Amino acid sequence: MPQTNPSSSRSWLMLLLAGGFEIGYALSVGGSEGFTRLTWSLVAVAFFLLTLYALSVALRAIDVGIGYAVWAGIGAVGAALLGPVFFDETLTATRALWLGVIIAGVIWLKLADRQRATQEVADGPRDAQVAVS
Amino acid sequence: MHWLYLSVAVIFEITVAIAAGKAAGFTNRPWTIATLLSGAIATWFLSRALLTFDVGVGYALWTSVAGIGITVLGALLIGQRLDWRKALGIAVVIAGVVGLQLSGAA
Repeated sequence: MPQTNPSSSRSWLMLLLAGGFEIGYALSVGGSEGFTRLTWSLVAVAFFLLTLYALSVALRAIDVGIGYAVWAGIGAVGAALLGPVFFDETLTATRALWLGVIIAGVIWLKLADRQRATQEVADGPRDAQVAVS
Repeated sequence: MHWLYLSVAVIFEITVAIAAGKAAGFTNRPWTIATLLSGAIATWFLSRALLTFDVGVGYALWTSVAGIGITVLGALLIGQRLDWRKALGIAVVIAGVVGLQLSGAA
């Protein structure tokens, strides 16, 4: 079996964190009621900055198509799971089924991405970053 | 008009992802500004579109079209190789998000 690339693992951790911040963003935007409640609005802005920062860090090593799908997927899962806790929402069996589909897809992508990362270690670095002064 | 709002929201959501990648963990200032600005614009246009669209349908359309656009542009512009495994995984996750959003009212 291929070895896990440590920098790839860290990027996936950052991507999961970005998904977590995205959940916070989605819930606080909902709580802000169209940005009419100040406290929730400020919390939403903070999560907005955090989620994009973490996504940006993760995308240094993860392909943008994979990164976006996982980020949006975790955001959707978290909002569906936590929505009933904070707001007047219910988690139906149908929604739970779709949560399973998203989670399965995310795990699949993690495995597919690990394979690529290992392959690229053999191929050499993909894009050397040019320092901007 | 709501279709126009949604289209603009999709374009800026695609810009968010591409710019976030280029921003390299917010170390590149111009791309960082582009990321945050696009994120704000996308959010604003999406909220306008969702005034008319059913929230589940509007959000499902927005995420799925943006996700496909980002994947295709990532392959075309940045040269990120897309094999069937990655394409399948992305399709499954996006399908899950769409299904979840559409079953929201159920």
